[in-house]
Amino acid sequence: MKYYDPQTLAFLLNDVHKLEDLLKKERFAGFDKQSIDLLLDAVKDFSDSSLYPFVKEMDEKPCFFKDGKVIVHDQFGPIFQKAGEMELIGAFMDEKDGGMQLPLLVFNALYFIMEAANNHVTGYLGLTAGAANLIVNFGTEELKKKYVSKMLEMKWGGTMCLTEPQAGSSLSDITSSAKPTDDGTYSIKGQKIFISASDHQFSDNFIHLVLARVDGAPAGTKGVSLFLVPQYRVNADGSLGDYNHVDVVGEFEKLGQRGYCTNHMAFGDSGESIGYLVGEENKGLTYMFQMMNEARIASGRMGTGIASAAYYASLQYAKERPQGRKRQSSGKKDPSEEQTLIINHPDVKRMLLHQKAIVEGSLSLVLECARYVDMQMVSEGEEKNNYHLLTEILTPIAKTYPSEAGKEAVDLGLQVLGGYGYMMDFILQQYLRDIRIISIYEGTTGIQSLDLLGRKVTMMEGAALKLLAGEIESTIKMAMSKNELKSHAMSLGEGAKLIETCLAHLMPHAMKGNHERYLADATIFMDLFSTVVIGWQWLKIGIASLDQDAAFKQSKLHTMDYFYKYEMSRCKGLQKTICDDSEITIKMEAEMF
Amino acid sequence: MKILVCITHVPDTTSRIAFTDGDTKFDKNGVQFIIGPYDDYALARAVELKEQSGGSITVLNVGEAETEPTIRKALAIGADDAIRINAFPEDALFVAKQIAAVAKDGGFDLILMGRESIDFNGGQVHGMVGELLGIPSVSPVMTLDIDGDTAKISREIEGGKEYMELPLPFVAGCQEPIAEWKIPNMRGIMSARTKPLEVKDPTGDAPKTKVSKFELPPAKGDVKLVDPDNMDELVNLLKNEAKVI
Ligand SMILES: Cc1cc2nc3c(=O)[nH]c(=O)nc-3n(C[C@H](O)[C@H](O)[C@H](O)COP(=O)(O)OP(=O)(O)OC[C@H]3O[C@@H](n4cnc5c(N)ncnc54)[C@H](O)[C@@H]3O)c2cc1C
Ligand SMILES: Cc1cc2nc3c(=O)[nH]c(=O)nc-3n(C[C@H](O)[C@H](O)[C@H](O)COP(=O)(O)OP(=O)(O)OC[C@H]3O[C@@H](n4cnc5c(N)ncnc54)[C@H](O)[C@@H]3O)c2cc1C
Repeated sequence: MKYYDPQTLAFLLNDVHKLEDLLKKERFAGFDKQSIDLLLDAVKDFSDSSLYPFVKEMDEKPCFFKDGKVIVHDQFGPIFQKAGEMELIGAFMDEKDGGMQLPLLVFNALYFIMEAANNHVTGYLGLTAGAANLIVNFGTEELKKKYVSKMLEMKWGGTMCLTEPQAGSSLSDITSSAKPTDDGTYSIKGQKIFISASDHQFSDNFIHLVLARVDGAPAGTKGVSLFLVPQYRVNADGSLGDYNHVDVVGEFEKLGQRGYCTNHMAFGDSGESIGYLVGEENKGLTYMFQMMNEARIASGRMGTGIASAAYYASLQYAKERPQGRKRQSSGKKDPSEEQTLIINHPDVKRMLLHQKAIVEGSLSLVLECARYVDMQMVSEGEEKNNYHLLTEILTPIAKTYPSEAGKEAVDLGLQVLGGYGYMMDFILQQYLRDIRIISIYEGTTGIQSLDLLGRKVTMMEGAALKLLAGEIESTIKMAMSKNELKSHAMSLGEGAKLIETCLAHLMPHAMKGNHERYLADATIFMDLFSTVVIGWQWLKIGIASLDQDAAFKQSKLHTMDYFYKYEMSRCKGLQKTICDDSEITIKMEAEMF
Repeated sequence: MKILVCITHVPDTTSRIAFTDGDTKFDKNGVQFIIGPYDDYALARAVELKEQSGGSITVLNVGEAETEPTIRKALAIGADDAIRINAFPEDALFVAKQIAAVAKDGGFDLILMGRESIDFNGGQVHGMVGELLGIPSVSPVMTLDIDGDTAKISREIEGGKEYMELPLPFVAGCQEPIAEWKIPNMRGIMSARTKPLEVKDPTGDAPKTKVSKFELPPAKGDVKLVDPDNMDELVNLLKNEAKVI
């Protein structure tokens, strides 16, 4: 069963995002093109044999809570072991910290393959890597020594504990507390909800990275610190010690990703939970946000993976399902003629094209972001800062577009199957439930849109926006000289102008202190901005496809044409809505509903 | 223990097969190549044997430069070094002679192959190599354990299994369930870059056979669905259309 296209992935890596240029950097000297090909191949083999065959079962036999413990599907045992052996967990980290210095561009490609195969799995791996990375970047040597290697082997799981019942989007309202003790550790107390991957039968220990407030810390985000809180204490020799009273209170039953557990955790309820400060007091949120950029790109990648799997499932169906007949030139159908396959109906082709355009455009954007992070790592001074700014402005888009447009794509995938799509026997309904979470966790679409318009667009006097505009402009320039691409290059230029028009209209509101008006349609602005950004990615794909063999090139150019005709054309309407000053949402008082 | 594993570089089983040059040549366009699946079992068992009792694994392929990514994969999975005999593998005897020439003075305790290639499915090379070297050759081997200088193996035979013991060295054509295919890990892939891959010229032997034409099997006919209540129609179709009864 096909769930992604290896040829397209290789094309995006090599031809669109120029992996070989990246491999010339000293940091990545351990890899060459051949080893990356082997790696992609190995992860495909792993996904074909160990991940994809279990995706439906993990939904049908979801994880459950029993006797204080979460039980996940049996297959997770061998998966975690193999992923650890293959060194897939912290491969992007520095060699000195136990990583392999694999470019994030490639790392994200590998995880995309796994996610397309089975989106219930990678969260366990990704959170463990993210937690280990936080310890490596901000923890003491002692914490690193004690915890990181077991996590990278996937023997111990890692988690991120931010959310509390009263503090979801608004992390400044966190109330979990940390009381300093005499030996320099802290005593942690509090309830954390919706904590992913925080318990199962296949890890001996869980290393929770917990946001909490040290007694007497200032209110708001400036008083939040980060702690490492193990489920079992770890002795000096690395062996497991006493229970650290991190209790699993329950497991949430969910709409989707039912194999990926989400739990309610209680710290310090049944006894003392010792926590170790990571970095400095009151800087927890800053540390967490560094991690969250990568987690947000990862969320977008996961949305892309699910949408890819849905696309290929619906494509196969469309090639096999006979239904209806083509009209003859008389306008009539001939009932004695055999039925045609649904893939021959223009409306079905539209649904397939839409999915393809979203999946490949999103994947390209995710990889672009990853490449910027890589470039940031290997460059210095102003160049480094530029890549940092580009990552900052694109991250909320890489999180949001694949999750929102991906949702739409999977929905169309289901539609392709007609009534069968609605049946539990077919997997499309599961993908639709699975992808639904992506626009919620790691910051909702609303929050990402506020981040884009409220922070990223304006940061350093618009420096990030200017850099991105420059990147888009240089793609436009390249495309202007190619006949196949010229008209799209012009449309992209117009799209970029529409963003400018919106900002020129909105900025005065912000200057006058009317921030509510400035931000009220942030999500619509996100829609416009991200559509333009995906148009940019498609133009890059178009340019690179010109050197490919005829069939591949035609497939890419045609999908690009679809995106420009059917999606870029929406931008004008969005701009109109954003610049409309009637303030419909603001003026709708709560009692008017 | 010194193990030689002979691997083929064959089209992925999902490839679309086509021919060119008046149906005398295989069309490689757009075809993804892999390690022969049976050879992959042989390699996996070699890695396990090495893990158990140490030693080294050499992989050998008779093929042109294009087979090197496949050889690299074998190195990534766990072989220590590789030899490529720089020649197009025209026929089984030619290939066997190349392998025998390498093995003759190589001091290998064990020569593992697949039970058959999956492109031409000859199942001949292991027998020929055994003959050329004057050592036993067994196939298809389903389990293989080493105890000192002796090997205990089981073979699939018509309607059952055969258990054998034989002295080292010998040639084995392997098949499942001898070991599970191994997926290379990242460190293996990285170290494969620096493991030695020696390219050798072929012996002077000339291939003795030549392909005059390839032919694909005829396309399968359409499926006909017969109502379970309509046995007469089924019998009629089997008799008069399919002509099988
Ligand atoms: C399956 C799952 C797994 C999760 N895993 C983890 C985990 O591992 N670790 C962890 O810490 N958390 C986790 N979460 C929590 C997740 O990050 C939060 O659910 C999310 O951030 C939203 O918070 P909330 O649920 O409290 O919603 P709320 O913050 O109450 O939001 C409700 C609605 O209001 C909107 N809204 C809120 N504030 C604003 C505003 N200022 N302006 C405009 N709109 C606003 C939101 O966009 C949303 O639509 C998980 C959640 C789920 C469902
Ligand atoms: C593109 C292409 C074109 C070919 N054209 C011809 C042709 O024109 N005529 C022809 O007869 N054959 C041709 N071959 C087949 C090739 O010569 C066979 O691999 C060889 O002949 C062995 O044949 P076999 O099927 O009998 O192998 P088998 O006896 O089935 O192989 C058994 C085992 O022997 C080992 N082995 C076999 N071949 C090799 C090898 N090359 N290097 C290392 N170990 C090996 C493997 O372990 C294999 O599992 C071609 C192969 C390719 C890929």
